[in-house]
Amino acid sequence: MATEAVLAAATPQLRLHPWSWLFVLLAQLRNFALPLLALLVFGQGGGWEQWQLYGALAGGALALVSVVQYFTYRYGVIGSDLVIRAGILNRTSRTIPLARIRNVSLHRTLLHRLFGVAEVRLESAGGTTAEAHMRVLSLDAASALERLVQVGHGRDAAAVDADAADANVLLRLPTVELVRLGLISNRGVVVLGAAFAAASQMVPGDPEQWFRPVGRWLFGQAEMLQMGWLATVLVALALLLGAVVLLRLLSIVLAIVQFHGFTLRERDGVLGVESGLLTRVRAHAPLRKIQFWCVSESLLHRLFRRRSLDVETAVSAGEGKDSSRSINHLAPVATAGAVAALVQRLLPEAGYPAFDWQPLHPRAWRRLCFWPLLLTLLAGLGLGLRFGAPGLLPLLLLPWWVLRARRLAAATGWALNGTVVAYRSGWLNRHTAFAELAKLQGVQVLHGPFDRRRGMATVAVDTAGAAAIGERIHIRFLPEAEARRLAAQLGRHIARNPLAW
Amino acid sequence: MQSMPTASVDAPRSAFAADARFERLSPNARRGMRVSALVGSLLVLMVSAVPLFLLSVARGEMAVATWLSLEAALAVLLLSSAWLLAGARWRATGWRLDEDGLAIRRGLLWRSETLVPRSRVQHVDLGHGPIDRLFGLATLKVHTAGTHLSSVTLAGMAQADAEALRDALVLDERGDGGQPARPAVASSAAAPGARHGD
Repeated sequence: MATEAVLAAATPQLRLHPWSWLFVLLAQLRNFALPLLALLVFGQGGGWEQWQLYGALAGGALALVSVVQYFTYRYGVIGSDLVIRAGILNRTSRTIPLARIRNVSLHRTLLHRLFGVAEVRLESAGGTTAEAHMRVLSLDAASALERLVQVGHGRDAAAVDADAADANVLLRLPTVELVRLGLISNRGVVVLGAAFAAASQMVPGDPEQWFRPVGRWLFGQAEMLQMGWLATVLVALALLLGAVVLLRLLSIVLAIVQFHGFTLRERDGVLGVESGLLTRVRAHAPLRKIQFWCVSESLLHRLFRRRSLDVETAVSAGEGKDSSRSINHLAPVATAGAVAALVQRLLPEAGYPAFDWQPLHPRAWRRLCFWPLLLTLLAGLGLGLRFGAPGLLPLLLLPWWVLRARRLAAATGWALNGTVVAYRSGWLNRHTAFAELAKLQGVQVLHGPFDRRRGMATVAVDTAGAAAIGERIHIRFLPEAEARRLAAQLGRHIARNPLAW
Repeated sequence: MQSMPTASVDAPRSAFAADARFERLSPNARRGMRVSALVGSLLVLMVSAVPLFLLSVARGEMAVATWLSLEAALAVLLLSSAWLLAGARWRATGWRLDEDGLAIRRGLLWRSETLVPRSRVQHVDLGHGPIDRLFGLATLKVHTAGTHLSSVTLAGMAQADAEALRDALVLDERGDGGQPARPAVASSAAAPGARHGD
């Protein structure tokens, strides 16, 4: 490839794509979108021309910066290092050893694809920001860079090329699966909620005003048709059903937009994920960077006989906002067998589905139902005093809480083998989380006053790059002696074995 | 990957054993903790005095006596509880360095026992706040690559202990492995990791 020859020249001499200024400008405009919008909204009235002038000046300055960046940015490969020079007043020259680059991600929105370019980010180990962010390279140049980094990892060029061919594909999601994913995940509700919240913030005045005409129209129709109460109930039900169906359809569309053409590849310990309908993202990460695994199975998952496999990598852990760039979803939706096969291929030592589950403290269920029972009892009594007998209705929940606690306690457990520590939790929505012992960072035994009264304790382990929310290995309600034994075993194992990055 | 013996566990030798011996913080740390607790509650007193004073002024001159007695009662309550809590916190805090790593035990009601394995220590900071300097103390901060244990802080170490602990944790990183360098602890404290509860 011709580009590769130039890549390997003596001084960095490759430029960004000639259209890169446009993308830099767009990215900057996105940062300034809110002030610009405010300008448009509040600038009306007096002095509109003046505001327009300010806007034009600001836009012009941004465009100038973008063009200057294009002319000053140079990159190239010198020896085994990637060298990047940038800046006009303050010149910087950054040298990144190719072997240190852990993740090359290509990001292509619809606009990028229109121009045949890609946004490239290079990340090295552990950092929270990218080592280099190239906005934008031609697709050829981006692919050449990607190849070079992979060859820099000691992989021969033939192997890299084999990647491009369809060998080593671990998982591919056809559209049928994406429809299932949409139905299971219900992304539509989240997006609609966010959109509604944003709209109520942005739109001046009471959001109710916007819905009142719609409601009035509906009621007008109902009156015109002279419907009885049964018909009204039926129409209301139909409307509700319609809303549910619409939300599910939206979820399906969102799932397809995010995961269209999802492909998971693995070769020589490097994982690659590619997906997206409009915005196409391709990310790579070494397999050994995976710190934490979690197989989730919600009620809906079970209805469709599917599961999902998520992982946490230590690559760019700080950029929670940009989660599309790091590899999180190894299998957004797959059968239990496919998930098991995937884990067995990627982490054979774990022995994934066949864990030797250990139970919690036999009285764990009592702890699990204590607070719900107490609160329900108090609420029921309070309402009963206020409203008489009907207020006691919440007390019907009491047996449910006991049932739930017993099922939860029975479904929760932990397992330890020579490679991983695992924790399963949840009754209706189940999670099985596990982490390699070699990647644990610390162990804790925690106990509160209630734990001490019942002789229980919690064992918590820590991994790198853990998300702020989500499943953790935080094993509550263990018998204290067992908790201490488990923590001691884990601690000793971690101490004796070096960290496997 | 090395397999781990799951059946025979020498739990008594671990920091997580219920009867494991932990080192207490330096006796100076108790003074330091008390001083900082007192300073904190004095600040609370000063802030709370303002609305009480304003209220008494609004109520007329007779209310000044009430204000003063209220403030005095608050002062006795706050300062004594701060004093007692600081002492209890000092007693509840312990550390221990053994072949596994640095173990820290703390908390009165919600207790935690944390082990930072020596193979996971990234770097160690020693800090000296104003109260630390007054009492010859140091605050040890151990960093790991983890998330919620990314930095584990142990305040109130004697300066010499803290330095010895830092050296023991960091030197071992260079790969001597095996037996840790025993920190040269002050005469009052026994060598950690050497003896355990019998």
